[in-house]
Amino acid sequence: MIESALSFLFLTLSVAAVYILVATGLSITMGTLDFANMTHAALYLFGAYIALVIIGKPEVGGVLESAGFSTFGLGWGLVPAIILTPIIVFGIGLVLEKYVVRPLSDRNVVDQILITFGLLFMAQELMAILFGTGGQTISRPGWASGPLALPGIGTVSRWRFYVILITVILMGALLLFYKRTDFGLVVRGATQDAQMVQLLGIKVNRPYAFVFGIGAAYAGIAGLLGGTIFAINHELGVEILIPALLVVVAGGMGSIKGTIVAGTLFGLAWATANSVYPQGMEASIYLVAIVIIMLWPEGLFGSTGVEM
Amino acid sequence: MSLRDVTGRLSIGKPTLSWEYWDEIKGTESFIFVATTVFVLLWSWLFARAPITSAVGGYQSLAVTVLIWGIFAIGFDLLLGQTGLLSFGHAVFWGGGAYAAGLFSYYVTGDPFLVVIAGIVFALVLAAVVGYIALRRHAVYFAILTLAIGQFVYFLAVSPLQEITGGYNGFIYVQVEPVAGFINLNQPLPGVLGTLWYDHLYLFVAVFFVFAVVLATRIVKSPYGLVFRSLRENEQRAAFIGINVWRYKFMAFILSAVFAGVAGSLYTIHTVFVSVESLYWLISGEVVIMTVLGGLGSVFGPILGAILYVYVRGVVDGFPIVGPYWFLILTTLFTVVVWAFPQGLWGIVGKIGQSLRGLTRRWNDS
Repeated sequence: MIESALSFLFLTLSVAAVYILVATGLSITMGTLDFANMTHAALYLFGAYIALVIIGKPEVGGVLESAGFSTFGLGWGLVPAIILTPIIVFGIGLVLEKYVVRPLSDRNVVDQILITFGLLFMAQELMAILFGTGGQTISRPGWASGPLALPGIGTVSRWRFYVILITVILMGALLLFYKRTDFGLVVRGATQDAQMVQLLGIKVNRPYAFVFGIGAAYAGIAGLLGGTIFAINHELGVEILIPALLVVVAGGMGSIKGTIVAGTLFGLAWATANSVYPQGMEASIYLVAIVIIMLWPEGLFGSTGVEM
Repeated sequence: MSLRDVTGRLSIGKPTLSWEYWDEIKGTESFIFVATTVFVLLWSWLFARAPITSAVGGYQSLAVTVLIWGIFAIGFDLLLGQTGLLSFGHAVFWGGGAYAAGLFSYYVTGDPFLVVIAGIVFALVLAAVVGYIALRRHAVYFAILTLAIGQFVYFLAVSPLQEITGGYNGFIYVQVEPVAGFINLNQPLPGVLGTLWYDHLYLFVAVFFVFAVVLATRIVKSPYGLVFRSLRENEQRAAFIGINVWRYKFMAFILSAVFAGVAGSLYTIHTVFVSVESLYWLISGEVVIMTVLGGLGSVFGPILGAILYVYVRGVVDGFPIVGPYWFLILTTLFTVVVWAFPQGLWGIVGKIGQSLRGLTRRWNDS
């Protein structure tokens, strides 16, 4: 009984972990930078494919296959991927911030949504052309699979345990960054009144870009973790975008606390439906989101600006 | 160009073949009605059977599909182009209309007119519910909420409602009977009529298409449409002068959903099948792409977008070399257009026309 409850909890939290990591960056962009950034999901997509290529040597289709590769990858294993993927996606995030987010920040929100949606579609098509449309999975080494014995309680999936651990560490680091560093202070200040911060002689562009990059890196690592739980294909971007957007809206834009709570609720809904009513599994998170937004139109922790 | 040039030209007097006359009539409703009628009468021939133009690969069934998506896009423009509301959930009304039409044809009657009416009614009811929920928030929230509701309905149809919708297999029992008991839609037309329109189905869809254009033009040109545009420009000011913002948004939403319902039911009649994919978010995305690509805020822009999109999806898809990249081509074009030319392809066509006119005018003057 305890064991099944425990494995249920771990399923909930590991699914929630992926949602939370993707939604965090999205929440920061939409709440703090005031930019509707659908390309955020492309960062998740890139993260998944980058991790796929670093970890193993997957069989590929598409252009890579016609270029003579039957398998394409470095095969370095999981640990280098966990370190490298967020760094690479951080870099992609900085490029995105400079060449897409900043030029478009003056446009109206409908234009922002449309353009970034178009870019997301382009990213997905690019992946389909490169890797083919077949599904891929990230294989895990022995130390990251199988059961993990928790003394006195029972056994849980070892990998799910790691996924939750990584997420807790990352979210804790983000919290410390906001509360304890000068950079975090500037971002919090600029959220309240960007002009005033600039008048004090502080450049806000650099902290903004940094925060955007962090959000991107979190989406990248979420791509890696998601890739080990769900299958990887080129439509992953939109597939994760919709729940991620709902986590952001249900939690309240810009609120990291809200993101964590809403992500956990979604994971809970998903895991509950999974064990009680499997046909309604996919529909469950949408129902939860719609109900939350009906009851709390501003989201659970809605406010203007980043809060903990 | 000075004022004297204008008056000078007018005094020369070219009453029916001058740009001035063209400017005067091109926006009128009767001209739009005549132009649309001429267009649909020639369209399937031009697209599928004319000696030169059909060589690019069009075919009859696709000509019908273009008209159906055209209706959808015209309606969508009422919401996005006129009122400024971006919905990512219009697949609900397209797919909902399609399913209502399919189920109605099987369980009640297969008369095409009644089938379309069933689709309209269902789309209308759905729109009232979805609109009530989604219009509580605006801008980004509205787009996300409509997307969420759309996906909720899709997943509902895929699995829990499998018994009714047929799940991934779709609904295969669509029954299309003759219109009013004697006009069989699939019966080919004889002689030159057959060359022009091929069969009754085309005419059936064409009637709805012309009606959709006329209705959309009427709405756009009415004071009602003016209120829609005022909401797009500045919702707050519209509220200040006493306009009930929510009610007009709600009506714009319902109107566009009715167009989507008509299009969805016509698509059911056209394909004699309802796929569950008709509820998928991709349909919502496609109608956004066509409308925006073609040009927001004009009646012909969305039609142009529908023609281009359906053509690329249906024909370029099969071309050698570029075939696999059809969606990349469309999305790239879409992104570039929204980024750099927000008035869309129709706007670009208009601008080219303007500059050509400027050139000829300068030519004539010198």
